[in-house]
Amino acid sequence: MSTKKYYTDGHIRRQMKADHDHALDFDPGDPLVGLHRSDLAGPQLERRTVLRLLAASGALTAVHLLLPGVAPDAHAAAGGTLKAGWAGVGEFRTLDPAQINQVLLFQIASNVLSGLTHIDPQLVARGDLAIDWTASDNGTEYVFNLREGVTFHNGDAFTADDVIYTFIRSRNPENSIHSRVVANVADIEKLSDHKIKLKLKAPQASLLVKTLERASGRAMTIVSRGAIEKMGTAQYGLTPVGTGPFRVTDHSLGQLITLEKFDKYYDPERPKLDKVTIQPIIDAEPLAAAIEAGDIDIIGGNPIAAELIDRFEANSDLNVSIITGPGFQSVWMNPHRDPFKVADFNKPVAELMKEKGFKVRLAIAKAIDRDRYIERAQFGRGTPAYGSINPAMGFFFDESLAETSNQRFDVEEARKLLADAGHPNGEGIPPLKILHTPSARREVQVIKDILKRNLNIDIVLDPKDFPVLIDAFDKMDWDLTRLGSGGDFDPDDGIVDWMQTASKFNGRNRDKEKFPFGFFSDNEVDALINQQAVTAEPKKRRELVRKLNKITSDKVASAFIFHPADILVYRKSVNFPAQSRIPGLVDLDRVTIS
Amino acid sequence: MTGYLLRRSVGAILVMWAVATLVFFMLRAVPGDPIAAMLFDVGDADAIAALKAKLGLDQPVYVQYVKWFLLVLQGDLGNSIYGSRIEVSRIVMEALPRTLSLASLAFVIAIVIAVPAGLISAIRKHSALDNMVTVFAFLGLAMPDFWLGIMLIIIFAANLHWLPAIGYAPLSQGFWPWFSHLILPAIAVGTPFAAIIARMIRSSMLEVLNSDYINVANAKGLKKLRIILVHAFPNALIPVVTVMGIAIALLMAGAVVVENVFAIKGLGRVLIEGILNRDYPVVQGAILLVSAIFVFANLAVDVLYTVIDPRIRYDS
Repeated sequence: MSTKKYYTDGHIRRQMKADHDHALDFDPGDPLVGLHRSDLAGPQLERRTVLRLLAASGALTAVHLLLPGVAPDAHAAAGGTLKAGWAGVGEFRTLDPAQINQVLLFQIASNVLSGLTHIDPQLVARGDLAIDWTASDNGTEYVFNLREGVTFHNGDAFTADDVIYTFIRSRNPENSIHSRVVANVADIEKLSDHKIKLKLKAPQASLLVKTLERASGRAMTIVSRGAIEKMGTAQYGLTPVGTGPFRVTDHSLGQLITLEKFDKYYDPERPKLDKVTIQPIIDAEPLAAAIEAGDIDIIGGNPIAAELIDRFEANSDLNVSIITGPGFQSVWMNPHRDPFKVADFNKPVAELMKEKGFKVRLAIAKAIDRDRYIERAQFGRGTPAYGSINPAMGFFFDESLAETSNQRFDVEEARKLLADAGHPNGEGIPPLKILHTPSARREVQVIKDILKRNLNIDIVLDPKDFPVLIDAFDKMDWDLTRLGSGGDFDPDDGIVDWMQTASKFNGRNRDKEKFPFGFFSDNEVDALINQQAVTAEPKKRRELVRKLNKITSDKVASAFIFHPADILVYRKSVNFPAQSRIPGLVDLDRVTIS
Repeated sequence: MTGYLLRRSVGAILVMWAVATLVFFMLRAVPGDPIAAMLFDVGDADAIAALKAKLGLDQPVYVQYVKWFLLVLQGDLGNSIYGSRIEVSRIVMEALPRTLSLASLAFVIAIVIAVPAGLISAIRKHSALDNMVTVFAFLGLAMPDFWLGIMLIIIFAANLHWLPAIGYAPLSQGFWPWFSHLILPAIAVGTPFAAIIARMIRSSMLEVLNSDYINVANAKGLKKLRIILVHAFPNALIPVVTVMGIAIALLMAGAVVVENVFAIKGLGRVLIEGILNRDYPVVQGAILLVSAIFVFANLAVDVLYTVIDPRIRYDS
């Protein structure tokens, strides 16, 4: 049974002031900022706990103080069919979470399947199929109380056995490409039909936001054993059965997916819509025409082509919602090639600054005018980046890095560094090839223009299809590469995946005799990453994350360019509540049509 | 005739085998590891190796070829290497009706435009009508079909809201949904072929109209319409039918750009996406089907000649 709250204006103001005062009421010297360990347990972090954490990090804004559900939605009504177009994709190859490798796919799966937890717009984990949880003092055991009365779309009851089945399936690399995500889970023990104990090999800070989360982790997105055994994995990937607010009723390959309201969803207030249709639309112009013509009501999927956003904003029939996105994009410089060769990053920055190769690296990073890049390549939308931790992570993001990073834009300093390295005005630097996907051509053209203008360095565009680009990138067969990451909800997504010596993207197929490390390697960074991964206490973890982020920035692990914006475009007849506006996702369970 | 058909059918199968074999080996020579790209997010070298072994992609190319060929002989085109590993036959068969629909409608549009335009152009040589048809033909050939498609979307969908901008509705959903989704892409795809066929009809008719037997028919006082439609047009059709046969085959396999513009997952897009993603089984299966369409369309055209002109016989 749900409880509705009704607010008067006066009540709203008093409540917001009380929340604001409570959020700021802590001793800055207290590592737990006035919170108890129990405050950090589930089913979700309490609103006031979240506000306190945001205040402690200096990230608290008026938006966070808005009471949930207060924003009026006068003409919203349940029911109706929402027509969605997914940008930049030709077909939905699979919706089996064990095989999903693209954000655009788990955007859809997040509406059909559930996890033990689900993130909210502040990327804080809340209970999904788990009602609440407790953690042991050493952080290696969690007990979850599971929601009762939940059914799968095929009528099977959800129990602890389904969690265990999902775990067993996911940890087998033959069944799942995400077995690494659960590698730290030693075992899941069934305590009762709706209670489990999860045992970790080591404490894991990202457990709730990544491993157990409905969308981003995928390893513990709960699947239906009965459905898989009955229809087989191939068909399950097309029409997955889960416990989510929508069920897949039709999937015409490459053409259309139809989702219908699941009447037995555990929250009787959701979903609001009767039906959702999703079609892949690979090209930008037809996508624009489709939403302008009203053939589709909302755009999800891959990021929308930047050149269309101005057009959408000028259209009075459309809403354009822009928030900070969960990712980063960089220009990577091969440390094993001239002119930016660096044999060993394991030195203080002051020592590295004496090396010619490092000076060239730093010169290139400092010469990139990120504001100009964002203005010209992204049409003014995005946030300058100086590290892999993105603003959507809120609590962990360090705004001061823009001022303190060694990479901050400074053309004169960049030119001086280049001259000190023996290349005044770019002399002696041969044309450098930059690998990129065909779709990033315009952006790379802007980088080329900036580096030519500021350092007189010639850049040659080297577009490659993704399979060819990845092959070369993995083998360290490149001068420069324009590449980055998306769907990064937890610090681990940026730093564990990219910045460690053994990171999965860090030259994994290189000749290890020829290249002792990939694109970056620093022992202190490695140690800090390992340490933060097992640090559950938020403020302490944040210190570690910010420290190593600064090191990777100062030592130019890459020339960080920008954090992409998360842009959602939808027709004005669609009501997309703030509660559903999660960076990187397109959750439709609270969406209504006027 | 039966012997001829049998010989041609055997030849067609040999051509299909040769094309499929060539594509098989060429695909594997193209740079780019599909498994590494697919598992980029996972980043685990062991996982990549394990999946390659599971899919048989770690074996020598000739071993992969023999295994694939034996499966094809049993009617099994294999499974996509991506995502849910769906059967290639299912992927191709789901795309085929969309391509058939688009190609058929485009062909009808092309013929409906081309035949009267070509005939009028030939009968009224050097007139204003002839010049108009010539200009139309040049425009039709010069305009890229994707540009025409985008223009049609902007005018009829985005501005006038008369027709949907994108997508496909099967015939099972009703004639109007099917037709309304297909008319714009069919015009975009069919226009260049209308231009080619119209010009072919004009030139072929001009040649026939100068023949002696047409002069005799005129001298005998036969009605002009009868001379054109009954005596001249059938004899002018032989080269035109050749072009039409090629047009049908190209429409079936070559409308990939327009399919992209209108978000229709037809055979063209299956093929292109398969190539870009290095999805070997899908490309091989689609190529087999496309080559079958080409060779059997060619055969059908040759048979049609004997219908149009009873003097043509293939038996020795």
